[in-house]
Amino acid sequence: MDLLQHLRYFVTVAEELHFGRAAARLHMAQPPLSQRIQRLERELGTRLFDRTPRRVALTESGRTLLPEARELLSRADRLTELAQRRETPPAVLRGAVPPGVDAAVVAAVLDGFARSRSRTRLRLQEIGNAAQLRGLADGRLDAAVLQLPCDTAALVLGPVLHRPMGVVAADSLLPAGAEVLLSQLNDHDLALFRRATAPARYDEILDTCARHGYHPPTVHQAGSRAFGLGLVMAGTAVTFDVARPQPAGLTWRPLAGQPLAERLAPAWPRTGHHPDVEAFAEAAARALRPAAQPPSRTAPHARPVLDILPMPEDRHA
Amino acid sequence: MPDPMIEHLIEHRIAALFADAGAIGRLHAVDIDTGRQVAVAADEPVAIGSVFKLPLVVALHRLADAGVLDLTEAVTLATGRTSGPTGIGAMRDPVTMSLRDLAHLAVSVSDNAAADAIADRIGLPAVAETLARLGLAGTAVTQLCRDIAERTLADLGTDPAALTDPSALSRLSTLDPGRTNRSTARDCTTLLTAVWRDTAAAPSSCSAVRRLLSLQVWPHRLAAGFPYDDVRVYGKTGTLPTIRNEVGVVEYPDGGRYAVAVFTRSASTALALPRVDAVIGTAARTAVQYLRA
Repeated sequence: MDLLQHLRYFVTVAEELHFGRAAARLHMAQPPLSQRIQRLERELGTRLFDRTPRRVALTESGRTLLPEARELLSRADRLTELAQRRETPPAVLRGAVPPGVDAAVVAAVLDGFARSRSRTRLRLQEIGNAAQLRGLADGRLDAAVLQLPCDTAALVLGPVLHRPMGVVAADSLLPAGAEVLLSQLNDHDLALFRRATAPARYDEILDTCARHGYHPPTVHQAGSRAFGLGLVMAGTAVTFDVARPQPAGLTWRPLAGQPLAERLAPAWPRTGHHPDVEAFAEAAARALRPAAQPPSRTAPHARPVLDILPMPEDRHA
Repeated sequence: MPDPMIEHLIEHRIAALFADAGAIGRLHAVDIDTGRQVAVAADEPVAIGSVFKLPLVVALHRLADAGVLDLTEAVTLATGRTSGPTGIGAMRDPVTMSLRDLAHLAVSVSDNAAADAIADRIGLPAVAETLARLGLAGTAVTQLCRDIAERTLADLGTDPAALTDPSALSRLSTLDPGRTNRSTARDCTTLLTAVWRDTAAAPSSCSAVRRLLSLQVWPHRLAAGFPYDDVRVYGKTGTLPTIRNEVGVVEYPDGGRYAVAVFTRSASTALALPRVDAVIGTAARTAVQYLRA
């Protein structure tokens, strides 16, 4: 019995909980699929599904074995992927940028890469951080532009691209002046993304707001940029964004002292990476037009958090 | 008989706690007397930071048990020794104290100078011997505090801002379990279980190590999860940029005792991340509550 192939049948049926739909997804007829699941159940010595004429459900064994089966299959896919990559030198670099990047940036990344690497084609996708990290880990992506902060163990990061964020508000809402202090926003609600999608980034933004005296009465966690901007248009809230054209009726103003920034970093796997990742990183850095980090940053106060390292003060001594 | 579904749910819940705090976490918790356990990525190798001081002092006590050294032997730490933020590591003048008092500082305040002085006295092969005898195949102690500090300086340079720069930290070899002191959550609870069952060394030595772990001063991680005056928390922390760890034992007045090891890696590179410190305690409490139910 081809165990991996049978596990694929098992996972598909577990996902559909319907033999007809699973068979369609697998491009096969239903009777052979049923037979193969029975074969797998015999081989493993346990029932995976409870079947009644009207419904299919996972048994307790099935539930326990499902994550294991997925793990085995993803490792098998990675093995094949790595073997293929060693066999044929890649003519394609599979890259990714985060959702919401402007059209001009996407075009500039592709154009910049094509200019520096004429023999490699950049296949660019727009996907979120979590999917980017999975893709880099299992070899389906060669390089990505990650939104920081995020866990980057096992990855090499290019230089951090620092893009200052300003405040977006309904035209009449902001105080006069070229720059706005975070503390001047104090009476207004804030529209942000859903915390669950990036808890560390969400907390970092709110901590920075608090640090600079802005305590929004309510934070609206918008599921999409459009919904957040809707709240801003209605005058219900303000939001933060990098400098770019905003919809009519909305004003973008820089924040004094650049307390908030979108931080992006090109990233690729630490081992066995694609030869053109540096060219991708450079193209991304040029296209995203990062600003210099504000120079006035004070040295981080480490005591006593880094218990194993000498204090930065000691290094100066 | 533990229900695999409930066990799976609790492990899922603990992983969600780590994610909500903006971190990746590995955890192993085990009831020292029944062996019931909770495991979240418990066999993945992790960079342990100062947690290595625990097997170091266990090795020291085993040598004393064997009569190789006397714990009251005095050691002088001259100027130019390993530096650090606490204890002798932060002091300026020569210090002379006994091996067992060095062990006290190495565990209670994670004193780097004290830990390196012990390691210089006993040698890393003695630590490897202890790890092998206790069956901790996933654990390796190959660097002293000064090696880690030197490596960090070499990888990051002298600009303190590099300590929080994600790009610089991705080049830092001392965060890579393959290139620094490493262990697994399960190995650490195995070591603690042996200390609590008096099998890691002679009973009097195990008792001395337990006392050191009870004297650790940091309240913000494991202990923060158990805000009960009648519950004792013993522990040893480990901290490097983005890495926050603690391993220890939680004792309830009814006799229940649980070895817990929690290793985290934060998404943010900020040095002050109280949410991640606190989730170490919250995750440990969630696991211990499950083991006590």
